Amino acid sequence: MKLPPNVSKADFAAALKAFAGIVGDQWLFTSDEDLELYRDSYSILWGETDERTASAAVAPDNADQVVELVKVANRYRIPIYPISAGKNLGYGGAAPALAGSVVLDLKRMNRIVEIDERNGYVVVEPGVSYFDLYNYIQEKGLKLWIDVPSPGWGSVLGNALDGGVGVTLAPYRNHFDAQCGIEVVLPNGRMMRTGMGALPGAKTWQQFRPGFGPRIDGLFKQSNYGVVTKMGFWLMPAPESFATGVVTVPMFRDIIPLVDIVGRLEQSKIVQGLWTLSSPTTGTPGFAAHEAGPSKPQDAKILGGVDMGKLEAAAKSSGLPFWACDFNFYGPKKLIKAQWDCVRDAMREIPGARFKLGEIRRLPLPPEELAKTRDLGPLGIPTLKTFDLGPMFSYEGEDVVGHIFFSPVIPRTGEAAIEAMEVFAAVARKYKLPCPPLQFPSSIFERAFLFAIGLPVTRSAVVNAKIRAIVSELVAISAERGWGEYRTAPAFYDLVMGVYSYNDNALRDFLETIKDAVDPNGIMSPGRYAIRSRHSRDADV
Amino acid sequence: MRDEAALHTVSERHAQMVTRRVVIGAGLASASVACAAGFSAYSPTMGPGRKTGPIDALLIDETTEPPRQMAALVKEAGWTLPVVSIRLDASGQAGLARIFDTSHAIVGISSGATLFCLERIAWDHGFRLTGRSQRCANDPGDDTFQQDVTALLSGSHPPAASPSELTRAYRPSRADGMLHAWVMRKSASSYVCRRRRDV
Repeated sequence: MKLPPNVSKADFAAALKAFAGIVGDQWLFTSDEDLELYRDSYSILWGETDERTASAAVAPDNADQVVELVKVANRYRIPIYPISAGKNLGYGGAAPALAGSVVLDLKRMNRIVEIDERNGYVVVEPGVSYFDLYNYIQEKGLKLWIDVPSPGWGSVLGNALDGGVGVTLAPYRNHFDAQCGIEVVLPNGRMMRTGMGALPGAKTWQQFRPGFGPRIDGLFKQSNYGVVTKMGFWLMPAPESFATGVVTVPMFRDIIPLVDIVGRLEQSKIVQGLWTLSSPTTGTPGFAAHEAGPSKPQDAKILGGVDMGKLEAAAKSSGLPFWACDFNFYGPKKLIKAQWDCVRDAMREIPGARFKLGEIRRLPLPPEELAKTRDLGPLGIPTLKTFDLGPMFSYEGEDVVGHIFFSPVIPRTGEAAIEAMEVFAAVARKYKLPCPPLQFPSSIFERAFLFAIGLPVTRSAVVNAKIRAIVSELVAISAERGWGEYRTAPAFYDLVMGVYSYNDNALRDFLETIKDAVDPNGIMSPGRYAIRSRHSRDADV
Repeated sequence: MRDEAALHTVSERHAQMVTRRVVIGAGLASASVACAAGFSAYSPTMGPGRKTGPIDALLIDETTEPPRQMAALVKEAGWTLPVVSIRLDASGQAGLARIFDTSHAIVGISSGATLFCLERIAWDHGFRLTGRSQRCANDPGDDTFQQDVTALLSGSHPPAASPSELTRAYRPSRADGMLHAWVMRKSASSYVCRRRRDV
């Protein structure tokens, strides 16, 4: 039996017995076969001594059981690691951040606690998946939409806590920003509610985010200060119509005025749907990191470091624009038309810009149309289609079994986007990575670009070590330019936190001061996002 | 092209499936294309062996086109088994959950990508992958894959020594053009129920 670090066999056995007493024997998992399921399928440390594997897993049914489990964990100093659905592949999955932790599997807690159509919110437990919530709304005929990540089998609550994002309207895309109200079991076993939820019998827990006093909800994002057992989310009213408008601009450097203009439109709340860049010239589709197929002839040129001026000149002679920008619009037909008019008017200052608004389609789409729609995410419908894409199937002679993301946040300017594309393309060329040679920025965040560069994961320790070294290089290159990651896989928590080092690591020190105060025994998700309590830090020295 | 009448979505079909063995009376027709790299790879646990219990359903990946010669086999299976189409979208989730809740053993034909997803969904219902075979999806004239499926359906293959080894041994891809035949069985151990609860 695998033991948690610094825990005796006798104490671990006593703790497991106490856990089973709380949840029932059938909800305590200790066999090798069961624990295999708590490995991270996309682990970049697979099969190595540093792989973070669980010593046991325990699955409570409700928050009261969580309270009791946390108290037992404190009594025996057992590190516990809460997971919701455990499906955030590429960012850790169901595996703990510290090897030997007991996974607190919250899948059984899958109640949709409350949903309010008038005020547009829902309260869910950790085990509620996007599929669950979507199907519930459909079954009840509620006029509400959810914003879904890709893929949609994950937990609504867990995705938000991990910093996940979706693809509909701006106020809902950043899932943690769409939350309103948290119920959390603190590391000492005490239950707490944030915001208005601190008022017993509060009628506005999901309606007024600031609450009274300091707003602390953010402390539970990408952290280890408690087990979140309920969370409220704002939902968007189901829009009447949907349309996609395409703006094309001819030249590579047209991205600079294009980004400035779209930025003004977004800051003015005229453009609220996601906009996506693709390149007819290079043949690179939108969301290239997820959808790139096998290399095309144009890609080979770019891989070799082609002169963009020559490329766009060749494209111009064939009538192809360099950039295409797809805008998603939602709402009443007349609003979509007005938004499109504003986009067109603003973009006209770019010479050679062309415009095409697609059909404004009444929602919900009939099933036969939905069946033909390639990407359902912008329509708020969860799918697992992203797994069908999987263009990376071999690297360095090894089967690719998954991916990890390198996900830096870049300034929202065309100049920064060009610089980032060049920097990341150079790394892709250097290591012959099976990812698109030219990565395009994503506009998921409202005021900054996101790059999400998928890197291959194999079952070869040698190849995985190479990938880890590439990630280290990418993190360092980015930090030199003032770019940092918004999220990362557990193997890189310390690496990435290390670059957030302003004033001699003042942020990390502050987070650890909080950790010492709320979790003196260091039992809650030690090491998650590189936050550790004092005794863990001392042990590392 | 597949004959869509032969395949029924899980959600549409399962209401009938759980009450009676549905006869699926149509075959599959697939335009096969020669595949230079065509092969069939047995997992070590495949092949004739002792019986391991009856199969409750045959699942077909709607994103793949099984080879033409599989049509007769699927048709034949349809006389005794529910043959259902795997849909990994929102509408298919409830039906899949019902199949997992009411079955003890299922056989499937799918891409590696679909198997990867389905396996992880099945875990929460106590299932484990216990046998698997793969071949190039467009390789005509290769009977071994058909034989594998027959063995899986008849339950005449021994259980895997280690389900985790099977899990690790395939590429979770659709782009690689491989077709997988597999069997999953409900484990004796407890499992995390995924039936949604509304308050």
